[in-house]
This record gives sequence, structure tokens and C-alpha cells, in this order.
Amino acid sequence: MSDEALQYDVIVIGAGHNGLVSAGYMARAGKKVVVLDAAEAVGGAARTAEISPDYQVSSGAHLISCLPKQIERDLKLSKHGLIWATKDVVSVALDQGGKHIVIPAGRKSDIETLAAHSKRDGETWRRFEARIKNFASILSPFLAGVVPETGLDFSGNSATATTLRLEKLGPEDRREFLRFVPANFASILDRSFEGDLLKGALALDATIGHHSGPNTPGTAFSFLYKKALELHGQGVGYPIGGLGALSEALAGSAESVGARIRLDSPVMEIIAGAGRVSGVRLADGTLFKAPIVMSSVDPKTTCIDLLGARHFETSVAKHISGIRMQGSAAKVNLALEGLPTFENFTDREYGGRLLIAPDMATVERSFIAAKRNELALDPVMEMVIPSYHDPRLAPMGHHVLSVTVPNVPYDVEGGWDLRREEFVKRVIDTISQYAPDLSDKIIAGEILTPPEIEQKFGMKRGHWHQGDMSFDQLLSFRPAPGMAGYATPVEGLFFCGAGTHPGGGISGLPGKYAATAALALEKAQ
Amino acid sequence: MTEIDPGKKKTIAASQSAPSPLDGPGIALDPTWFEQTNDELPFTRHVLTTPLHLVASEESRTNKWTEWNGYTVAEVYTNFDQEYDALRTRAGLADISPLVKYRISGNEADAYLDRLLTRAVSTIPIDVVARAVLCCGNGNLVTEGLLFRMGAQDFRLTVSSRHLNWMFDAAEGFDVNVEDVSGTIAALSIAGPMATKILETAGGDDVSALAKNHAKWVELGGMPVYVSRTGMMGGCEYELWSDPSDASVLWKRLFEFGAPYGIKAIGAAVRNVARLEKGIALEGVDYGNVFEAADGLNPLSPFDLGLGDVVDLGNHVFNGRRALKDTFKRGSAKVLTGFEIDADQQAQFANIYVNERVIGTITSSVWSPGLQRHVALAIIEADALGASGGFSADVTSRWEKSGVSRAPISLAKRPFLAFP
Repeated sequence: MSDEALQYDVIVIGAGHNGLVSAGYMARAGKKVVVLDAAEAVGGAARTAEISPDYQVSSGAHLISCLPKQIERDLKLSKHGLIWATKDVVSVALDQGGKHIVIPAGRKSDIETLAAHSKRDGETWRRFEARIKNFASILSPFLAGVVPETGLDFSGNSATATTLRLEKLGPEDRREFLRFVPANFASILDRSFEGDLLKGALALDATIGHHSGPNTPGTAFSFLYKKALELHGQGVGYPIGGLGALSEALAGSAESVGARIRLDSPVMEIIAGAGRVSGVRLADGTLFKAPIVMSSVDPKTTCIDLLGARHFETSVAKHISGIRMQGSAAKVNLALEGLPTFENFTDREYGGRLLIAPDMATVERSFIAAKRNELALDPVMEMVIPSYHDPRLAPMGHHVLSVTVPNVPYDVEGGWDLRREEFVKRVIDTISQYAPDLSDKIIAGEILTPPEIEQKFGMKRGHWHQGDMSFDQLLSFRPAPGMAGYATPVEGLFFCGAGTHPGGGISGLPGKYAATAALALEKAQ
Repeated sequence: MTEIDPGKKKTIAASQSAPSPLDGPGIALDPTWFEQTNDELPFTRHVLTTPLHLVASEESRTNKWTEWNGYTVAEVYTNFDQEYDALRTRAGLADISPLVKYRISGNEADAYLDRLLTRAVSTIPIDVVARAVLCCGNGNLVTEGLLFRMGAQDFRLTVSSRHLNWMFDAAEGFDVNVEDVSGTIAALSIAGPMATKILETAGGDDVSALAKNHAKWVELGGMPVYVSRTGMMGGCEYELWSDPSDASVLWKRLFEFGAPYGIKAIGAAVRNVARLEKGIALEGVDYGNVFEAADGLNPLSPFDLGLGDVVDLGNHVFNGRRALKDTFKRGSAKVLTGFEIDADQQAQFANIYVNERVIGTITSSVWSPGLQRHVALAIIEADALGASGGFSADVTSRWEKSGVSRAPISLAKRPFLAFP
């Protein structure tokens, strides 16, 4: 292959959903784009794979909650095969006694179940829900585009919208909002509700995927942030064919406008000189040249490992290497020869997002275990039975169960080789407390520990969000102070992954905003 | 020429082979008072003595000492006027061992320094000394000093205050070894019209051939000494870098060979006057470094301090480049300026006025015996430089009880005192 052939306008590192979104937008802007990925399939952690023959499952992420309609339309995803299996997955807080709480408690019967746990909660739920929605909408304008580089720029539209919404809240809610933001979520839940199960489920919602427990300061904000992000989406759901189908649609869309996607092509080095990026080199030595390199790999790996700290001024390099990446989770995927039996389950519950978090103490304990590099005795988890809405994932009558277990340490005490079996057993035992016939129905299964997630999806330390999503690492501070604008100090190098604003989750927003920023910068020059 | 091993632990007392300063009559000093022993925990001692402390105290007739970077150094040895006279007409010798010195070595020492300093070091030949400016990400000064290239990948950086933390932070991602060698290298400064002559008679063959800002290894009485044609006191001057155990012998030797030429030990008081006559601003006196400045406005960029020619805004990435590009375009808001004061009065920290508007502050001011008037360094608003005159400052009278009065001052070019 001649050198000529490897010259592009834009190189995108990583064919995860954000990388593909960036590639799609850049190619639509008329750029000659190549996407390079180390894996043998597109999608990064948004990928569908077989557990065993005929049993397919989203092997990494399993739900989409914040993919905007706009991205779907801009990139013509339905034309490229994206069909939603469902967009209204409810959360179900599992109760051993069968009194499962459904969130959002939309129906009258849901409120009655809440009231069965606690009369007060039944009455206060709607008020809480409305309040959270209001609060989230205050935050949401900041997630609608590139955040200002330093501080909150109050000349911008997002700030104006926020100020107006804050004003509209009225004195009481405004005061509550200001108390809410810095608090730990446990204290908010304690003063809002009585029922352990409801509090446990909401606490899990706020902390899942982050290195925090309900008592960690800032978790109330994490919850709001998540809800604000969801306001940009179209409801919680997944496409037919699992999350890999989304990635394939994104890849198809990018390829239809000329982008080239090269798999099995691990990038070993980003090449830069004199403060300017010029290309990348693959592990096999192949050189790709482009004036713009967009990395959907986490910012720390991009800057320190792929490029080298020397290409940044010391203060910048220090900020980047200081990015905290502690949060990690494990994934357990099971092939089942039938639906596991949960007491009092209807259609809606089976198709829902099942949460095991009986109370806040259990959630907190799992975080404490993770802090000590230990495995929780009673793990909390989020489960989905994707084959319920998308039967083609498994043979007729059979199912797949996808389990995300948060607060699983990367460096587990004793090493993963020794602790794997124990971990799987604890997970299955815990689920069996709610679905006693589960173990009888397991045909096959796979477990992805954090090191395996790192290895399989190319995510450093198995971190789903490419950097903890805490207040000090969000908005203007994501990925690092002074670098919120997607452009890096190295000219032509952009971040476009979850490590940038607005962060992790299958939203495509970092990818979209990065492309917008790169194109705007080029236009300005 | 063997090189000094900077890692070697040395005791500070005069070495055994040297003629002991205790041999002289009437001196009752116990050298062990000044010894730092190996079993001492680091940072337990707050009053440090230089390797020259014993021989230097032998020269002292006043017992006036002062502090410099934690070390005790002589403020005045004999008498200010005598010392100044010796420095400008014959030769003066000063102990400058408290200078902060870093050794930077390793495969990527040059690449590391390229990023650390505001200029590329690849163009600096071996045995040449270059002005070194260190900036922070915001383009303000961390510190400045001199960079000695002692080998292809072996550098010595001397600066006025400690910044090891910053140097270590900057080392991430480089194959480089950064160490503080302040305590393991003794330094002397010799200046004055007779300095060259004394060095040559003391054994430093053809140091006169040494061009300004050049350095070389010389053997003085069998001791390896790195001699550089650098200094802060003005005139013909050299700095001598040696092993601490050789330092007192070296000092004695220079006195022995310098005696016929009237050499004298120079204290900190005269050194300060001399550096101001030369117009040199000091970190911590005339400006604050970016980490210590009380507010974000105080620290200055290299352009503000007139160090623009040490900043290479070309293509290489260095700390502060992005910010300095903007600073350069915007121009300096404040600048370091020299003034002469038309009054025999002290003016440190005095406000400077143009038409009753405060435009800056005097940061250092001394009576220059060489010029027979007060000279001062000041930080003033850059746009005030356009004023053709009419500068005045609040000066403090030494004699009148009334205290502060207004005296006219005038802009002056640096160095204030010209040397042949």
C-alpha cells in the first residue's frame, strides 16, 4: 500500500459508539475519514456477541437511555438498520416478598405498591418525581452542547436557560435545589422517603458505574446529572439485535458517506511534533496521516500513553494524569432455557430493568467492599432480559439475562483467577433469592471482570465512563480543567469519547459535540 | 578531568588534608558545631552552614551574618566601604554556595529542558552558560537562573529558589534524572579588575581566554574546579564550582595568591549593591514567583522582566508557550524598570507617581557608591513608560523627622554602572 492511500482528513481512534458518531458527522461534513479499532468488531462496549451458539446478548452496555433523536435523524440510523425493540423499559426494584416497586410509578397500582411499603412514600412519590424532573431540567441546558472552557459562562444560552428555570422554581424549590446539589444522596432519600427498597433502588441508580456509595458527597448531583442526561434521550430501551445493532447502524451510516472503518488495527502511537498532530501509527507499524485525529479512547490513555506527556505543558499533563478512573463494574451474561420465575411479575416487569438493591446499606456496603478491593457479600446489580422484547436473541422459549454488577474492584484481593468462581456464585445466589429457579435454567454463561472488560473493549481499568463522573470531573472540568472544549493543546488532536462532556452512557453526545467543535475550529482558522 | 560526584555525602567541615582554620591563634571554634552528620534526619536542621563557613568566619571582623536559602552567610566581613572598594578596584571573593543547584542528566535531559525552559537547549554547546527562564502554564515566571551545559546530556541549573516539586512534575514521561545538588557543590564568586590575574597565578591557566558565559574545567592547586565567566556583581567576574571538601582550601588558596592584589571577602550587603548596580532583579525581592505571589496579579511574565530574548515562541512545546504567545501579542501591562533617585534617600516599597497617579512601586533601592546616587528597580505600568518625565516617588528621609517626602526620580538604563 502506498503512502498516498493512508492520507486522510480525519483519523478516529476507536470504533465505539462515540467514535462512530464523530466519524459519521465528520464524513457528512465532507471529510475523508478513517476509523481505527483494535477489536475485530465495531461498537466498543456497545456490542452484541454470542454467549454460546444461538444465544446473543449485548456483551457490554445493555441499555440506551440518552441517545438523542437528533443523532438518530442526522445519521439516518433507521435507514441503516436501527429498529428499537423497546423504548419504555421501567425500573423494577425487586422485593423478596414479591412487592416489587416499579419506577417511574406511572400507574395507580404502582403507587399502591409503594404505599404498601410505606404509606408516606405513596403520597410523596409524585412530588419527589416532579421535583427531580424540575431540577434535572435546570442542569440539562448545559448538556446540550459544548460547555464553556472555564467556569460557567453566564453570557451563553445554556446559562440563561438555567437562570430562567431556576427563577421559575419558586423560593422553596430553589432553596431545596441548592441544598440538593452538594449533598449525598442518602441524606436526600432519608428525608424524602421511608421505604428501604425504594431508597435502595434510587441509591443504586445514583451510584451505578461510579466509584461511590449513597453516603458519598456529590451523589445527589450524580443522580440529577443522570436524569438530566436522560432528558436528552428518548426513553430507556434497546434496539432489536442488542446494542451491537446500534453500533452497526452507526458504522453503516458512516460508511455510506465514505468513511472507512478498519478493524484489527490497534493504534500504538499518536504522532505529533511542534505542538501539532500529524497522524497515528498502528502496532504493525502502518502509518496513517491526517491533520485531525479524534480519539474516543479515554483522555488519559490518549495523552499519556499514546501521545506522551512531553507534548503537553507540565500543568496540563498533570491535570490529565490526575484524572480519577476508579469506578468499575463487572458483567455477567447468562443463557437460560426459559424465563426465570419472579414472583408477581407481569409483562412490564419481565421487560424491565431489574434492580437488586434491597436497601441503602447494601448499596453502601458494596461500595465499601470495592474500596477495599474486596467483593461484596451481597452484591447489588442491574439486570435486563433483552430476549423478552427481542426474542430473536435466543432460541424459541429460551432467554438471555444480562447482569451489570457495580462496585467490582479491578484489583481484587487475591486476584481474579482465584476469585472468579466465588464472584459468579455470589451473583447467581443473590439473583436466586428473587428467582429461585434461575440456576436450574442456566445453559451457559460468561463473566467479564473489570480486567476482562479492559482487555475486550479497550477501556482502561475497565472504566465504563472513561473517568469518574463526579462533580469535579464533569461539565467544565471534563476531562480536565481547561480542556472541556474537545480540542487538546496539541493542535488537531480532539477527544471524542465518554471521557469528555457530557460523559459516559450510550448517548453519542461526546462524539457529536467533538465533531461540532472540530469543524467549528477548522472554520474559524 | 574528573568530575565531581554530586551524590557523594560530604561533611561540611574543612577536610583533613587542608590547613585547618583552627590552627590560627585566638580562634576557638569547634568545627563539629557545623557538621551535618549522616544520621541526622533530613530537614531537622534549619540553620545550615556552607562548606566555606569556617574559613569565611575567619575573615569576619564584625560577626554580622545573614540568611540566604536557609544558609548562614556573612552580611559584612569587615566594613562595607572597604569591601566595595576592593570589589571595584581590586578583587572580591564571595561565598555563593547557598545558590540552588540542580543536576539534570539522562538520555532525554535535553528534551526535558526544552519543555521546561522557554528556549530550546539543543543549540547550547557544551561548556556554555545560558540564561534560563522557567514559566508556569499561565506564562508567569516560576524562576530564572543559569543553565550550564556540562556534557551532551548533563546540565546544571542554578536558580534563586527551590522548585524541585515543579521540576519533578515536569519530568513525567521523560527519561531524565533531576536532583537537587545544592548541598554537594560549593560555589565561589570572584570579581574585580584583578580577578583574572589572581585566578591565573593561583593556577587557573589562561582563564582570561574564557569568553563571557563560557565555562571550563580548571585545576587549581590539584583541585578540579569548574570555572565559569558568569556572575552578578558586575565587571570582570568568575564563578567557581567545586567539591565541598575542596572549597575551604580553594578559598584559602585564592586569598593566598590574591593577597598581593588586595583581595577581600565580600559580604551579602556589598553583593546586593553590586547586583543592583548591574541592574539584576531578584526573585523574591523584585518579583514573586508564580507559586508564591500573593494574588494572581503579582507574578510577571518574562517579557515584563525584560527577558523576552530568552523566550523562543517558535514551534517547540514548552511550559507557558500558549499563554506567552498571547502575552506577547497583548504586550506587557507591567514592566521592570530602572530608576535613579535624585535624593540621598531610601525608597524601597515607595509608590511611584506620574501626575499624582500611582503607576508602580520601587522594589529595590540602594545608594550606589560607584555612581554616587541612589539607584532603584521598580515594577511600573507599561503605558507609563511613554511619559517623558515627571516621575516622582515617596522617599523616606534618614535624617528628617517628617519621614516621607516626595522626590523626583528619572528613568535609567540598566546596567546602571558601566564596566569597561
